[in-house]
Amino acid sequence: MRNRFNEQLLRLNNELITMGALCEEAIGNAAKCLTDNDSAFKQNVYDTDKQIDQKERDIETLCMRLLLHQQPVAKDLRTISSALEIISNMERIGDQASDITEILEKSDNADIGSKVHISDMSEAAIKMVKDSIESFVKNDMVLAYSVIKYDNVVDDLFDKVKNELIDFIEEKNNNVTAMIDLLMIAKYFERIGDHAQNIAEWVIYSVTGKHAYED
Amino acid sequence: MNRKIFRSSFFIAVFVLMASIFMILSVLFNFFENQLQNELKDEMNYLSHAVENEGINFFENFDSKKKRITLMDINGQVIFDNRINAEKLDNHLNREEIEEAIKNDYGISIRYSDTFMEKTIYYAKKLDTGNILRISATQYTIFSILLDLLRPLAIVLIIAFSLSLFLSSKISKSIIKPINDIDLNNPENNIIYEELSPLLGKIAEQKRTINEQLKEAVKKQEQFRLITENMREGFLIIDKNATLLTYNTSALKLLEIDSAKESSVLMLNRTKDFREVIEKSLDGKHSESIMTQGEHSYNLIANPVFEDNSVIGAVIVIIDITEIVKREDLRREFTANVSHELKTPLTSISGFAELMKTGEVSSETVVDFSMSIYNEAQRLITLVNDIIKISELDEKSFEYDREDVELLSLSKEIIKRLRSEIDKKNISVNITGKPVLVWGVKKILDEMLYNLFDNAIKYNKENGSIVIITSYDNERAKIIVKDTGIGIPISHQKRVFERFYRVDKSHSKKIGGTGLGLAIVKHAAIYHNADITLKSVVGKETEITILF
Repeated sequence: MRNRFNEQLLRLNNELITMGALCEEAIGNAAKCLTDNDSAFKQNVYDTDKQIDQKERDIETLCMRLLLHQQPVAKDLRTISSALEIISNMERIGDQASDITEILEKSDNADIGSKVHISDMSEAAIKMVKDSIESFVKNDMVLAYSVIKYDNVVDDLFDKVKNELIDFIEEKNNNVTAMIDLLMIAKYFERIGDHAQNIAEWVIYSVTGKHAYED
Repeated sequence: MNRKIFRSSFFIAVFVLMASIFMILSVLFNFFENQLQNELKDEMNYLSHAVENEGINFFENFDSKKKRITLMDINGQVIFDNRINAEKLDNHLNREEIEEAIKNDYGISIRYSDTFMEKTIYYAKKLDTGNILRISATQYTIFSILLDLLRPLAIVLIIAFSLSLFLSSKISKSIIKPINDIDLNNPENNIIYEELSPLLGKIAEQKRTINEQLKEAVKKQEQFRLITENMREGFLIIDKNATLLTYNTSALKLLEIDSAKESSVLMLNRTKDFREVIEKSLDGKHSESIMTQGEHSYNLIANPVFEDNSVIGAVIVIIDITEIVKREDLRREFTANVSHELKTPLTSISGFAELMKTGEVSSETVVDFSMSIYNEAQRLITLVNDIIKISELDEKSFEYDREDVELLSLSKEIIKRLRSEIDKKNISVNITGKPVLVWGVKKILDEMLYNLFDNAIKYNKENGSIVIITSYDNERAKIIVKDTGIGIPISHQKRVFERFYRVDKSHSKKIGGTGLGLAIVKHAAIYHNADITLKSVVGKETEITILF
């Protein structure tokens, strides 16, 4: 019985790593769409998002089955409940990557995009997602805490991009729609950073049994 | 075992004790009963004679304390009793012993008291007078004796119990001790109990088998480890849950990981290519994929491992193909460059010829065009010559005779050949140093220096200068070519020796050349085992040193 349980926990771990990797790909490709207007990347983001949604359902079913059949306690229970939280955050990251791509598809912002710090933002968000997944994979608490801290960087970058865009809008002779789109994209990256932070927090909870903000 | 031996020996002792007490008692009791009966019989004989001779008066002088004597007439009416008043006693005719005596002259019966604690033996005899005489004696039963003996018995039993307790524990310990002391590492050296020797023999045999198998397994494992550790390819084995079972150091190195533990293989790498290869192999399919990580490219080969038709894991081999990919890229670039370089002059030639073909071109223009066609054709010839030269150097298929070549005079001679080019740009050339000798092939060295000087002129500024210095450096011949040209940016410095590589691709036509100059220099240097160093400041100077 315990053997089977362990096997299922291993599967859960594998699936979570896979889903995390898919998120990294989705946001990585979304960022590439920002700099490189290639439709292959766009299609890739949409496909990955679909896979992420499927994975979320799979993992959810697996977690439910584990909870019902094995009635885990202590660390095992934490692992599973954190897994449920982590996947919903990952799913949001996938959705937002796909939202970013959707906006990029409709708007033309090539010239303004290079003038504001949006690509810095995308890099920071990618770093956060990557590190949060990495902290989960390696159970690396130090990395998880660094992700939580790094959220400030993304937030500051968002304010910076916002102010830059405000300046451009005030100049009046610019394409305001493109700028609003860019602001939305910046906001999505900021939200992705928040989700990555949540993932890191749940990783900490699953390992230590304490929430990060309790320290 | 100790407890079992102790318990059984203890119970046996107790049981034997109890049984023997009971048996001794019952044998003794029977003996006493018989004796009593005989006693009664003897007394009866004596008494009957006395009563027959003296009548009832005999009893007046006779008193038996131990036994009860009763005399009754033939009808059972008691005439005399030495214990109880005869008148109070009822008719005894229906008593067993009396009935028997009337019938057979003698009668015996045994009766127990209500509590079974006593039993009375009655003995009756019909006298010649017709009366019946009866003697009876009372005896304790076995129960009452037992009851009386209860205390001493209990004491004896307790002593016996403790004795057997002590002894049996001693015995069981002494039986067990040698078994406990058996040296299981050398089972055959223990000869304590004959009965155990087959078991110990079997253990020894199995121990030998296990040792042999273990040795074999360790040897195999060591072989496996040696093989995998010395592989340059990464090697991973996973089970059906994608848990890492075995890996070699190359795998960790290739995947850029410090250490791995026995958990999900996706911890090592989670890129799409890697995941897909793992997934497919665990689905029971052979899979191959090329994974790019940073500047490195890896070929992933995964094979499922089957047992009873179901996948139980997979073996993954990781091969570093960075060099192959890089070379492949270079080859592709080279081919593209060659075709481009060949095509450009051909396109011009074809264009001019096409115009001339119509016949509508004026004669002056025809001359002009012919000039151009000639130039382009020359360029093609130079290019093809260069390609031939470089492929010759590449193949090393030719063997020229080596001789002592003097670089200073050779340089001067080459500069002479390049004089017209130098004058066009008004460049000053300064050749200094002492004569140095190189053991090499003059033709190739000539080619090399020609290309070096040619570059120094081509990429020089108007009114620039070239300095050529020959010298010995630790007995090695050295030539330095310095120009005041456009220079080579650091990012391009590594690649300028590649075939057809141009720093500024857009101006190649203006400057001319085939793009093979430095490649020829490099190959010639390799041919002579010489080292090339390149120092350059963009827009200022370039200095190439060749150390033979």
